[in-house]
Amino acid sequence: MGQRRRAAAVNNSSSQGTSAAPAEAAGIPNRKHNICMVSDFFYPNMGGVESHIYQLSQCLIEKGHKVVIVTHAYGRRKGVRHLTNGLKVYYLPLQVMYNQSTATTCFHSLPLMRCVFVRERITVVHAHSSFSAMGHDALFHAKTMGLTTVFTDHSLFGFADVSSVLTNKLLTVSLCDTNHTVCVSYTSKENTVLRAALNPEIVSVIPNAVDPTDFTPDPSQRQDDRITIVVVSRLVYRKGIDLLGGIIPVLCHKHPDLQFLIGGEGPKRLVLEEVREKYQLHDRVRLLGALEHKDVRNVLVQGHIFLNTSLTEAFCMAILEGASCGLQVVSTRVGGIPEVLPEELITMCEPTVRALCAGLETVIARQRSASVPSPASIHARVQNLYTWRNVAERTEKVYDRAAGEEVLPLDKRLRRLRAHCGPVAGSIFAFIAVLDFLFLLFLQWWAPDQVMDAAVDATGPNGLWKEAGGEIRANSKSAVKRAAEPEMSIL
Amino acid sequence: MMEDETFTDISGKAISLSCQDHSSLCKEFVVSVPKVSIGKVMVYTCCVWLLAYVVFFFTENTAVLSSAIFITLVGMMLHIHFVKVDHETLLFIGSLGIQLSSSYASGRETTTFIEMGKIKDIVINEAIYMHQIIYYLCVLLKDPSEPNAVARVVPLFQSSKPRLNCLVKVYKSCQEILSKC
Repeated sequence: MGQRRRAAAVNNSSSQGTSAAPAEAAGIPNRKHNICMVSDFFYPNMGGVESHIYQLSQCLIEKGHKVVIVTHAYGRRKGVRHLTNGLKVYYLPLQVMYNQSTATTCFHSLPLMRCVFVRERITVVHAHSSFSAMGHDALFHAKTMGLTTVFTDHSLFGFADVSSVLTNKLLTVSLCDTNHTVCVSYTSKENTVLRAALNPEIVSVIPNAVDPTDFTPDPSQRQDDRITIVVVSRLVYRKGIDLLGGIIPVLCHKHPDLQFLIGGEGPKRLVLEEVREKYQLHDRVRLLGALEHKDVRNVLVQGHIFLNTSLTEAFCMAILEGASCGLQVVSTRVGGIPEVLPEELITMCEPTVRALCAGLETVIARQRSASVPSPASIHARVQNLYTWRNVAERTEKVYDRAAGEEVLPLDKRLRRLRAHCGPVAGSIFAFIAVLDFLFLLFLQWWAPDQVMDAAVDATGPNGLWKEAGGEIRANSKSAVKRAAEPEMSIL
Repeated sequence: MMEDETFTDISGKAISLSCQDHSSLCKEFVVSVPKVSIGKVMVYTCCVWLLAYVVFFFTENTAVLSSAIFITLVGMMLHIHFVKVDHETLLFIGSLGIQLSSSYASGRETTTFIEMGKIKDIVINEAIYMHQIIYYLCVLLKDPSEPNAVARVVPLFQSSKPRLNCLVKVYKSCQEILSKC
């Protein structure tokens, strides 16, 4: 079925979406959605969630859906911007509170969000990351407005301490009436289902992907007289940097031709610097500091072995990037990592210094005896494992399914909240849902939907976006094509 | 040649756009907003006076009442002199430039002129304005040092804020003239 679908999709894109006939003839639902991605985290901020949203949006646009992104303003970057292929981004002026996450009062973001949803004729609201308050707000408002909602969780979370108990409660409230939830690995699905007390049937697993053209191997960059171990991660506790600090002296003592290349920045940098001082390893442990995304590949290709010491990970993009660059991957066996790569491409160890050292030793021995597959062959295998097109295709199915479901009307929603989230929290949030609904009614009276201009589609079935110099499709709309030019938005 | 059409502004109030073709290279667009309605003046006056009467009831100080009258009068005058715009005019003369003028309810007029050499283009753009996201028409000015950069953006029809269909009409006529120069 998947193969057939893919073939139909290729067919359709080759005819440039002028007619949907080939796909419909194959009996495949070819519904186009107007999707709004909401998250606090988007470019210019850098990270996994950001690139996930961007790449997914680009692939969905390619498939003929209309996609807009809503995030909060970053410094002077506010207003409406257009990115490659007419991807429209709203930088809304909402106050940032902590860690690039906006403050939430459940209400103050409603007028602007409603405006975006109405003028873009949104049908599906897709929020990302459980740390994003804006995403939860958007879900809340979208449900009040009767739109289909989808949520993607990108991280694992604990159950024990106070902060995770509170976050988990909020997640329960937020997800109990969301149409569909997406997780990046089966471990993450298990975690989310437990945390938010969800029905596992409405949770799908769609992994992340890497852009294989960004991470290509280049063995000529390696130093052949030495063996280089590369580590690229933020230097924080969660990434197991303390383990790394234990491994470095042991292995450097045993293997005089071993060197470490460590990219990334964070509070645990001190640990590594201390180790370096103590064992006089200045020429063999290089700390590169924070890396920009475009430099990551240049660091990776210098190494033979990629080491990941994470203590918790929902889906590890870093090992995928390492493997895509043709490196031998050694990683801890935690979270979703065992699901990511096939057995022969990864060496997994328990998260202890001894186990990791043993794992690295075997890989070093294999490397010395030259019995490892060539970087090009590893790249060729990884290349087709995780692609964004595949992610988009699977996400599309989630949208199709969610769009077919009923969005709970207010009375059922209130009952669900009270039944699902406990008598206290449930009642509080049911009350807030009612207030939100009243506020929406007020806004609909104050600024009716029909007074709002429908936004001109840059992407989607009626998209007007063309490459510079291209002919404009409809003459009457030429005015608005120009409006879509990426000019600055002031006022 | 002159034509009048009615449109609405971003909050749904009726406004009218009249286009006047003086020649193929000279066009004038006037956006007119309805005059101050007597009802609105009454409502605001009543509010201020009632408030003043409540304060007077507790303080029993007649200065409150007279100051209320004073505030209403001054407020009204300031409003029609500085805030309330009756007409906004865009006079586009190809090869010469653009003249923007707005006439206030009191009869005051402000005029600015942008010469053709400075104008890069006229576009419709989107912006976040208060609690909503709107389309607006703006003139892009050239940066004298860099020919391809935009130095400044001058928004047009700032006080009447017409909706997209009205903007598109003005935009098309302006582009016609721009393409001829």
